[in-house]
Amino acid sequence: MMTAKTMEHLILVILSMLVAFGPRFIPLRIFSTRDIPKWFNEWMKYVPVSLFTALVVKDVFINTGEGYVFTGIHNMAKIIASLIVIAVAYRSRSMGLSVILGLVAVTILAMFLPV
Amino acid sequence: MKNEESRWLEVLKIALPLCLSYIPIGLACGILLNVAGFNVILTGLVSILVFSGGAQFLLASMLTANAPVHTILIMLFFLELRYALLGSSISQYLRNTSKKFLYIFAVSLNDENYAVNYLKFATDKNWTPKDALMVEHYSLLFWACANIIGSLIGNLLSVDLAIVDYALTALFLYMIVMQVVNKLTIVVSFVAAIFAIISMVLLKSTMGLVISTLLASFVGFALEDYLVKRDKKRGFLLKKIKPKASRRVVSKSGDN
Repeated sequence: MMTAKTMEHLILVILSMLVAFGPRFIPLRIFSTRDIPKWFNEWMKYVPVSLFTALVVKDVFINTGEGYVFTGIHNMAKIIASLIVIAVAYRSRSMGLSVILGLVAVTILAMFLPV
Repeated sequence: MKNEESRWLEVLKIALPLCLSYIPIGLACGILLNVAGFNVILTGLVSILVFSGGAQFLLASMLTANAPVHTILIMLFFLELRYALLGSSISQYLRNTSKKFLYIFAVSLNDENYAVNYLKFATDKNWTPKDALMVEHYSLLFWACANIIGSLIGNLLSVDLAIVDYALTALFLYMIVMQVVNKLTIVVSFVAAIFAIISMVLLKSTMGLVISTLLASFVGFALEDYLVKRDKKRGFLLKKIKPKASRRVVSKSGDN
């Protein structure tokens, strides 16, 4: 049952765990006995929003299949669905609702607009 | 003994809104991982060991795009780097706990259980590190089960990848909205979008994501530093935005 691909995936999972564990554990360990330096907090504050935006932009505005081409407003279904998700997230603050309505919106919009 | 017994129920009640919201996303994540070639055991394993919606969605979508392992790991590292901030901000409540406890706590720390625990620590004097760990484990249980079920359903369904893949984007959009505390955050988001497009088109790889994240977060850091030094704390960009609906999920659990 253990194919080469499964083995490869298992190694990836273990490496991912290590990569995920470091940022969670090290600051927790250091700062449970010491105070947090201000510059560290100030810098870290903008990492999530920058990364999430970049990831959203990659999915909505970049065609990775044809060598990372900027698609402008071509993927209209995803653009409209994204606006819906932003509105739902802002009003409901609910993760589950935002994701589900986003999926529903993109499914419906994909029927008559390019994804 | 009776007291012990009612405590786990009390904590479960607090964790439940969060746990329930994990079910649909966990299902979607399990389906995607199945499409990416993960079997049920691997999906269960990654849900427990990595325990991060964003990271697992990213793994799935980068595996289906045949991205090289080092690119996947660099992206994951940046994605998980935000936990450094969460970990350091909650660490003040975990003083006087053992190294072993911190280790176990860190393994299942996550955006959402952090939000619940941080609020409880800040508002409830009787909230202990042990309760916080229990919240983490409840959310982990729900997340892993939903992923495993998703993986099993994924075998039976044929799904349109381009559409299910959008779950990741919706999740990130939600997280962006949750990050917005002032207009400067919105500015940083737009800066990040422009940097992301330019760097990905130029580099023709996902390394563009890493570069644009570093540049945009630095711009945010520098802009805030500049505004604070000029004493513009109450100015247009740094004025706090109050969301229309305050964190309903968290505050509901906070009432209990």
